[in-house]
Amino acid sequence: MSDSRLTDRLEVAAHTRNLALVREFLHGAIKRSALPATDINKVVLAVDEAVANTIQHGYEGRDPGNVEILIEADSERFSVKIRDSGVSYDTAKGIESKADLDLQKHIASGNKRGLGLFIMRKVMDEVSYTSREGDRNELTLVKYIKPRN
Amino acid sequence: MREFEINLEQLSPEVTLIHVAGWLDAHTFEYMEQTINNLFDEGKVRLAVDLSSVEYISSAGAGVFIGTLSASHERGGDIVLMNPTEPVREVFDMLGLSQVFKFAKTGPEAVKLLKK
Repeated sequence: MSDSRLTDRLEVAAHTRNLALVREFLHGAIKRSALPATDINKVVLAVDEAVANTIQHGYEGRDPGNVEILIEADSERFSVKIRDSGVSYDTAKGIESKADLDLQKHIASGNKRGLGLFIMRKVMDEVSYTSREGDRNELTLVKYIKPRN
Repeated sequence: MREFEINLEQLSPEVTLIHVAGWLDAHTFEYMEQTINNLFDEGKVRLAVDLSSVEYISSAGAGVFIGTLSASHERGGDIVLMNPTEPVREVFDMLGLSQVFKFAKTGPEAVKLLKK
């Protein structure tokens, strides 16, 4: 359905103080999309985790650049691309890894790392990452709106 | 909307209550972490955390409590969480933290749970 098609874009400086702005932008976009209201908080959380990872790891020890958030949605899927020009970060390895985090063991050891990636995978149906040297990195998160047959 | 705010209250001679309000995310978690570390430095290791005014929490915020749980145990203390809001409860459930932490509804209940 063409009336559920949606694109939107936000570019912010790669600083954690802008996460609130990112969440507000997402709330607005999701409300205009075909995603059910019950998914709003979860999808906002997953994208917040992704953007926070990009800001914290992609620009570690470097001058902060910008992070671009691109939303493309239709009646079947809600897709968010997070683009940055920072270094390729460790999360990418986690995304490629098939192994799931043993959460209880992880938490019992007092380990806090990897929880953001766990949330991204738990909430979203697709999580993928591409990185090219000298070019931008792109993390894509997709939530299906209708079950695929 | 308050971005983030922390207030401390002495619930009993041994138990410190931390009131948290606003967003506990990758931007604000270090302030929370620093507050708890300062309490540990003062020998205050029995902590209750009032989450009734936390409007949003991400893994960075939840991670503070995971770290505090083991750090307080190492110091002979403990942590009890109070009245999490629905968004906080959702994230805790997702991360399996609702089974890991002790929860209290009132100050006296928290003090009782934090008794030696």
